[in-house]
Order: sequence, then structure tokens, then C-alpha cells
Amino acid sequence: MDQFFEQIITGLSIGSILLLVALGLSIIYGSMGIINLAHGEFVMLGAYTAWLLQSHFGLGLLASLIPIFVAVALIGWVIERFVLSLLNNRPLDTILATWGVGIVLQQGVRLTVGSELRYVQLPPSLSDSMVIVGLSVSSYRVFLFLVTIVLFAVTWLLMNRTTIGMKLRAIMQDRSVAASFGINAKRVYGLTFAYGAGLAGLAGALVSPLKSVSPDMGTGYVVDAFMVVVLGGVQSLAGTVASAFILGQLSGAIAFLQNDTVAKALVLLAIVVLIRFRPEGLFTTRVRA
Amino acid sequence: MQIAPILIVCAVVFALPLVLNNDFLLNKVARYLVLGILTISLALSWGFGGILNLGQAMSFGIGSYAMAMALKLKTIPVHTGSGGLPDFMVWNNVARLPWFWEPFKSISFAIAAGIIVPALVAAGLGWFIFRSRVTGVYVSIITLATMVVLNLVIIDQQSYTGGFNGITDLAQLELFGIAFDAYGRATFYLVATCVMLSLLVAFAFTCSRAGLIVQAIRDHEGRVRYFGYDVATYQIFVFALSAAIAGLAGMLYTIVMEFASPTFLGVQLSLSVVVWCAVGGRQSLVGSFLGAVLVAGMQGALSESAAFLETWTLVMGVLFVLVVLFLPKGLAGLAQVAWHWIVHRRQVTQGIAHGVGRTREGSA
Repeated sequence: MDQFFEQIITGLSIGSILLLVALGLSIIYGSMGIINLAHGEFVMLGAYTAWLLQSHFGLGLLASLIPIFVAVALIGWVIERFVLSLLNNRPLDTILATWGVGIVLQQGVRLTVGSELRYVQLPPSLSDSMVIVGLSVSSYRVFLFLVTIVLFAVTWLLMNRTTIGMKLRAIMQDRSVAASFGINAKRVYGLTFAYGAGLAGLAGALVSPLKSVSPDMGTGYVVDAFMVVVLGGVQSLAGTVASAFILGQLSGAIAFLQNDTVAKALVLLAIVVLIRFRPEGLFTTRVRA
Repeated sequence: MQIAPILIVCAVVFALPLVLNNDFLLNKVARYLVLGILTISLALSWGFGGILNLGQAMSFGIGSYAMAMALKLKTIPVHTGSGGLPDFMVWNNVARLPWFWEPFKSISFAIAAGIIVPALVAAGLGWFIFRSRVTGVYVSIITLATMVVLNLVIIDQQSYTGGFNGITDLAQLELFGIAFDAYGRATFYLVATCVMLSLLVAFAFTCSRAGLIVQAIRDHEGRVRYFGYDVATYQIFVFALSAAIAGLAGMLYTIVMEFASPTFLGVQLSLSVVVWCAVGGRQSLVGSFLGAVLVAGMQGALSESAAFLETWTLVMGVLFVLVVLFLPKGLAGLAQVAWHWIVHRRQVTQGIAHGVGRTREGSA
């Protein structure tokens, strides 16, 4: 029984990291139709900013979360403004452009900071563990889980309860009609992309104490995050949440029985087979186009 | 698109050994030509079929491993364990040859497998993707993810695949009594022949009825479906054909490089292929081929120092973004525009020289 709960908690922990990374990706794809292959690099930039602030300015991880969000969001805004907004009606080309941007970011970091591994310290207040249902769980993982829930709630509120969210939903439904009502689509797209990038940066900063920081760390995360988006379907935030936790539990369980690689291979196989029968994803009704 | 540029390129490729006297250089050029074949295969599925396969290196890697497995089993016993067991299996305490290695004792099986297995894998994956009418960016993500996973599996299953180190210490390929030394002319001509074959097969396909339908699907999938064509079948076919050519390129790469490695089906290579294809011109077979040879060749020439290689990757990233933004048809598109401009100018100047009447005749 203990082992069962331990598995559930491991799965929740993997799921919350997946959701953290996939949230930004899902928003950018769902609202702008852009598959952002530079997303992993935004995660990487967030982790490096955390490292930079900690090692050069002595700022703790918790204190640096907001500056990290702002910094990566700003980079995202610049990229949207000067690259992606030029590719309005060429969705396949945005994949290529973001991929190119990804290489530039990754290589830029490698050239300026170097490719050796960097480490970020856990916040001292969260470095112990706590007891949940009779099991000892690292406090930081619990904190990650809570932060993920808060970020999801904030995102949902932004989308559904603010003016900018309403404008974005209007543009998603019909861009030209929205424009004729005086909504500046370019500005909204810029802000959306910046927000998605900022979320990725936060994800990178938050996972940085658990794993080492390197220029190519983003690649692994982005593939996992894409699986979440493909499984969940892209139009609903709830689908992203559900699929992140399903995948988290599934990878946790298979990894326990076999190993990480087998888990990844089986999960991918399951997703490819699933697409054949539910092309629209598990939790949405709209067909992908 | 016409056949003349293809024939010119093939003639130049076959003439190269007359100019290049250095075996080392010849091997390098052969390597770029093989990457050119891989890029042709991507142009076929992406430029003509509208299927952006971000995992094109997967087929390449499968072909490369098929050839490497066969050549590994041919190595002299010094490099293998007792009973011809590959050395890395001995190190990993594998007692006997796994069943899926057995058939690779035959070279002809390996050559067939290097082409057929990638095609079958692609057809299977394509069946799931295209029958569900998944299009556009989703295809790219799924192909990318599949390749990454296969790459991880190969690295993970070290005792059967050589893991991170790949398969090294290979014998030379021998066919019809000819030994294909990586640094010899025979290998170069083998590669050149395959370049020609790939270009001609791809060209023949694009001119065929099926090829025209595939291009129509790229331009407007729905309309082709309303005409009553089974869209998915054509997409699966071009996807598999492209994978088969990539598999062929992978086999040649093993012969030229003398090893197989998980990096052959890595994200890095897959990305490079897309870049070459975009720079050369995705809708032109010759353009994409030359794009690969030129960009890869330039990279090879400039990357003597490691520091420069890093900068080069950065430059390539920037170049790629610029090409995507401002030159969607690549250098081939640019060449086409230039050609039309020259022809047009000549017509105009001729018109001026021969009077107005002639101009009307010429333009009619």
C-alpha cells in the first residue's frame, strides 16, 4: 500500500513538471497556432537566469522567480515581434523559424556562458522533507506541485476573467471580425507569446535545482511537453492538465517496472495509436488542422 | 522542373574524381554527396508532399545500422568474440547472437533491409498519421518524437546496439568482387551512382500521375479529396518512398564513415537536413541536393577549429531564420527568378534591336 502511494506521489511530481513546461506551449499553440520549437530553449534560459542571479547576485531562487519571468517574457516578446509576426499565414514555416531561433538561443548561451553543467541551490526553507499519508516527501516537490496549480489558476483567470483574455478568445474565434471591433491582434499576440515564454522560463527556473543546467537541457523537456499537448488536444487548458497528470502517472509506473527509456517509448507508442482513434486528442471536440 | 539540371549535376559528380586527386578529400566529398541524397529524400516528402518530416534522420539511421550490423558480422575474428560475436556484445556479457542479428550475416539481406525497413516503418507510422487526417504541424511533432524515442532506445539497449558508442570496427563492403574502401574510388563511384539513381527516381516520381496528385494534395488537400482520390494512400506512399531513399543514404553513410552511431538519427542531423533543404530550395530536387552539399561542405571546411564550429552553428541558425522569413523557395527559387530575369532582358534587348514587329512576334 505504501508503495502504491509512493508511486502516485512520484507520478504527481512528474506530472506537475510536465504541466509546468506544457502550459506555455499549449497556450501559444492553442491561441496563435504556432508550434514553438524554441520552447525548450525558453526553459533553458529560465534555468540559466536562475543560475546567473544566484551565483552572481546572490539572489535566492524564490526571490528571483519574478525577474526570471519578466526577462524570459521580454525575450519572447522580441522574438514574436521581429520574427514570428512576419509569418502570418505560413503555419508550417513558424515551426522552422522557431527551430532556428532555438538554435540561435542555445548556441548563444553555449558561446557566452560555456557548455559545462551548472547547478542551482534549493531554497533553504524548502530543502527538508515533510510527511504526507505516512510517507516522507521532499518539501520542494510539494512546493512545485502547489506552484503549478497556482500558475494554472492564474492562467485560467487571465484567459477567462480579464479584458486581454477576452480579446484573445475573440481573435481565436475570428481574427478579422475581432479586428473590426478595434482589437489590436498584433499586440495581443505579442503579449500571449511573451506570457507563454515567461511560463517556460519559470518552469526552467523551478526545475533547475532538481537537475543540472546545460545549454541543451530544453530538448528533452520540449519533446515530453509536446506529447502532453498532443494527448490533451490543444484547445482546452483542462485537457492539458489531465494529460500531463496521466502521462506523469504512466511514466512513473512504467519507469518503476522497467526504466525511463522504455517508459518514454511505450508512452509514445500509446499516443501514436491513440491519435488513430481520437485524432482530436483525448479531451477536445475540435479536429486538428 | 526539367531534367537538364539533374543531368548536369550528375555529370559534374561523376567527373569530380578527375579533378580531386586526394583520397582524403574524395572521402569528404563522398560524405557530402550522401548527405545530399538524404536531403533529396526530405525535399520529396516536404517540398512535393507538404509533409514536413522533422525525423527524417530516423530512416537514415535505420539504414545506417542495417549496413553496420552486416559489416560488423564480417569483421575478422580479432575484432569479434568467439563464434563471430560482435565485441561490444562480449563486453556486455551477451552469450549468443540475438535473433534479429542472425539474418544480417547475409549482405544482400542487409541491403534490402536498409531500404525496406525504413519504408515499412514510415508506412506504418504514416498509416496512423494520415488515416487519422492529422496534418501540418502535428505530423512534424510526431515524427520528431518518434525519432527521439528510437534514438533513446538504441542508446539504452547497449548490449544489442552498441549503445552510445554505436557500431565501430567494421569490415569493408564487398560486392561482385569489388571491395569498397571508404577512401577508394570504387566507393565514390558507388555514391555517385546512388546520387544519380535517387535524383532520377525522385524526378520520375514527381512527373508521374501519383507525383502530380501528391503535389495537388500539398496545395489543397480538401479539393483533391472531393475529386474522389484516396488522399491518405498517396501521402503514405510518398512518405515511405522518401524514407526508402533516406535509408539508402544511411547505408552509404556507414560505408563512407566506417561506423554507425546514434547521432545518425539525432535531432542535430535531422535539423541540419531541414536547414539544407530550406536553403537549397525545398521544391527543387537539384536545389536541395546542392544546398546540402554546399552548406555541409562549407561547414566541413570551416570547422577545422572547435571554437569556429560553435560560431558556425550560430551563424547557420541565423541564416536559417532569414531564409525562412525572406526566401521561402531557397536558393533554387532565387536562381529561377534570376534566370527569368536574364531571359526576359534578352527578349527585351532583342526586341529593341530588331524593331517593334519582332518583339510582338517574340512575345506571342
